[in-house]
Amino acid sequence: MHIQLSLQSGPLYEQIEYQIRAQIFSGELKAGEALPSIRTLARELKIGVITAKRAYDDLIAEGFLYAVQGKGIFVSEKREDDLVNRKTERLKEQLRAAKRFAAECGVPPEQFAQILQEIMEEKDERS
Amino acid sequence: MNGLEIKDLAVDYGNFKLDVTLNVPRGCVTGLVGRNGAGKSTLIKAIMRQEEASGSILYNGIPFFGNETEVLRKIACVFDSPHFSSAIKPKRLLKIMKGMYPAFDEERYHVLMQKFGLPEEKAVRTFSTGMKRKFGLILALCQKPDILLLDEPTSGVDPYDRGVVIDLIQEFMLDEDHTVLFSTHITEDLDKIADYLVFLQDGKILLSEEKETLCESYRLVQVPELSEEMKEQAVGVQKSMFGYTFLTKQKEVSGENVLVKTPTVEEIFVHLLGEERI
Repeated sequence: MHIQLSLQSGPLYEQIEYQIRAQIFSGELKAGEALPSIRTLARELKIGVITAKRAYDDLIAEGFLYAVQGKGIFVSEKREDDLVNRKTERLKEQLRAAKRFAAECGVPPEQFAQILQEIMEEKDERS
Repeated sequence: MNGLEIKDLAVDYGNFKLDVTLNVPRGCVTGLVGRNGAGKSTLIKAIMRQEEASGSILYNGIPFFGNETEVLRKIACVFDSPHFSSAIKPKRLLKIMKGMYPAFDEERYHVLMQKFGLPEEKAVRTFSTGMKRKFGLILALCQKPDILLLDEPTSGVDPYDRGVVIDLIQEFMLDEDHTVLFSTHITEDLDKIADYLVFLQDGKILLSEEKETLCESYRLVQVPELSEEMKEQAVGVQKSMFGYTFLTKQKEVSGENVLVKTPTVEEIFVHLLGEERI
């Protein structure tokens, strides 16, 4: 597991949640793998205990992680199709946020769709 | 469960009065912020029983009176200025500490002294500010307290040593029965490691809240022009050549050229505790 935090990039717990989710999706974190305890996570990332707890609690509520009393926190066993569903759900959430933002900026729906199309046609620099 | 339960704690200096009721949650780091003279040091001294005060304090549920020795052994403090004679050498001080605290962790003391390059044979007077802070913190930690109070532990300390101090605090917090209350002006430290924030103003608690809940309950808004509607909801308005900056509890602030973001602890400090400048 690796996590990078920036005080300028929004709530710290969201940054942690996002990065752990991404690593579960990518397979970097495998089902059954143990994660550091809340207090270890807090110390290692130099964040508050409550922030660390909130990130884990959210991920547990979403089903990405599970806690075993007295043992620790682990990555959930997920069926493949379930994982795909979750990915799609997350993607939809992000796109809805983009849609709201487009509306705020006064970008009409047709133009939004066009922008999305343009982005899809962009060469992905990371691949 | 609270590490500290402070009820109607009052100190009266005549021209300054401290009057505090406050719970400091166990297992968490609570940051104490306030402007100079707000009473932060007085509060910490009163909790340490080094300041005459009325009211009551429970230390991990235990009242002070009747349990003086037990309480004083379970609570340690790093003051902003060392309260031991500066001509003394750490080696001599170690002997005194061992006499005062039977549980004093001498092994860890030597490990930490070496780790942070603090000489045991030199007078404390010759230490730099950073060295004095680290030394004070080492002494406090080796008492093996459950409750650690720190008065400005990172002021006057360079960024590297500040990191060291923060590390030591967080290591202490690995034990969930431990409690930390620290006052600071360096709000960046609080942005990172504080779980709860207490704002002190003129000897009184202005607010006491979980840090993230507090930061998220406000929006920091920058606008070129302040409308009447905004003015009603604005807290701590500060005017500059280019417009106005203020805090608001409104969830949605919209308009032309409006910049909205979640405030940092520093921004809440400035706008909540500073005077309005319009």
